[in-house]
Amino acid sequence: MIGRKDYKVPGGKLIRVEIEIDAGVVRRAAVKGDFFAHPEEAFERAESGLAGLHVEELPSSARQLFGEGLLAIFGATPDDIAFALEGAAREAQGH
Amino acid sequence: MKLRVIDSSGGRGIPGALNMGIDEALLGSVSRLEAEPTLRFYTWSPPCVTVGYFQSLEDEVDLDACRRSGVDAVRRLTGGGAVFHDAELTYSIILPLGHELAPDDILESYRRICSGLVAGLCRLGVEASFEPINDIAVGGKKISGNAQTRRVSCLLQHGTILLDSDPEKMFLLLKVPAEKLKGKLIEDVKSRVTSLAVLLGRKVSALEASAAIRQGCAEAWGAELVEGRLSAAEVSAASSFTAERFSSPAWNSRR
Repeated sequence: MIGRKDYKVPGGKLIRVEIEIDAGVVRRAAVKGDFFAHPEEAFERAESGLAGLHVEELPSSARQLFGEGLLAIFGATPDDIAFALEGAAREAQGH
Repeated sequence: MKLRVIDSSGGRGIPGALNMGIDEALLGSVSRLEAEPTLRFYTWSPPCVTVGYFQSLEDEVDLDACRRSGVDAVRRLTGGGAVFHDAELTYSIILPLGHELAPDDILESYRRICSGLVAGLCRLGVEASFEPINDIAVGGKKISGNAQTRRVSCLLQHGTILLDSDPEKMFLLLKVPAEKLKGKLIEDVKSRVTSLAVLLGRKVSALEASAAIRQGCAEAWGAELVEGRLSAAEVSAASSFTAERFSSPAWNSRR
């Protein structure tokens, strides 16, 4: 099932998440929005790292992936991204 | 500090995909040390909506409305939000990392580069100030948005200076979460955004604005600005990037 979540970070940017979950596993996840991330490719690597995760480990793994040392994100924090992903995952699972 | 200046702000405007292609070509030539650090000024024709690197063009932009209105739509190399480029002056600056305007600290580099724009706006009679992270405002209202990327050991920053603004037209082209919110969003933009036309009570051309901003940059950065033009290699690279990237669905619809 596919879930979506738009989360406007207070004082920050809009994160728009789309996630596909099948049998409790993330098949595909896209983290879009008007934030800045440097280098852009490191953000996309973190985003690709979401596929294959179990839903239970999604928030903590997302915080780790997007909190990677070389990646600088402006307008959103790894916590904000994890929060949006969790919301989208809940919707995907019909909660 | 010496910068090459390429200024087409007195011209008829350039299509969006080509504007982005030229900026990427400059990134390449400065990176390979084939060109001096470069400051470019340009305008857009037809008008164009650009979206940030991490945005989805389809999610943010009403592409049918753009087609009907003859407005282009392009995804940028830089992050940030959707921008409607119409009555504005746009600049880009390409610097090797480590240049005094391109320190490691990204926020500090926004501040240093924007100091030139602020000084230029002051020359036009507008009390502008830098608003972190990446805006310039007058009396609390935004007049300039700026976006930066760092690749191939260089910094590319581009940004807008609003000559005039038309939020009604902009929202015809952008997708909004709910149609009934449109009126509120338009009012919101009107209360948060300003332009040279509003502040000065007269029309300011892109050429007049670029002349002032060039002086402001020279003064604030202590820079010598040397008039230049695109090399043949840059023209050819720009045309490849335009065709293969910024006009291609593979790039524009990748997210």
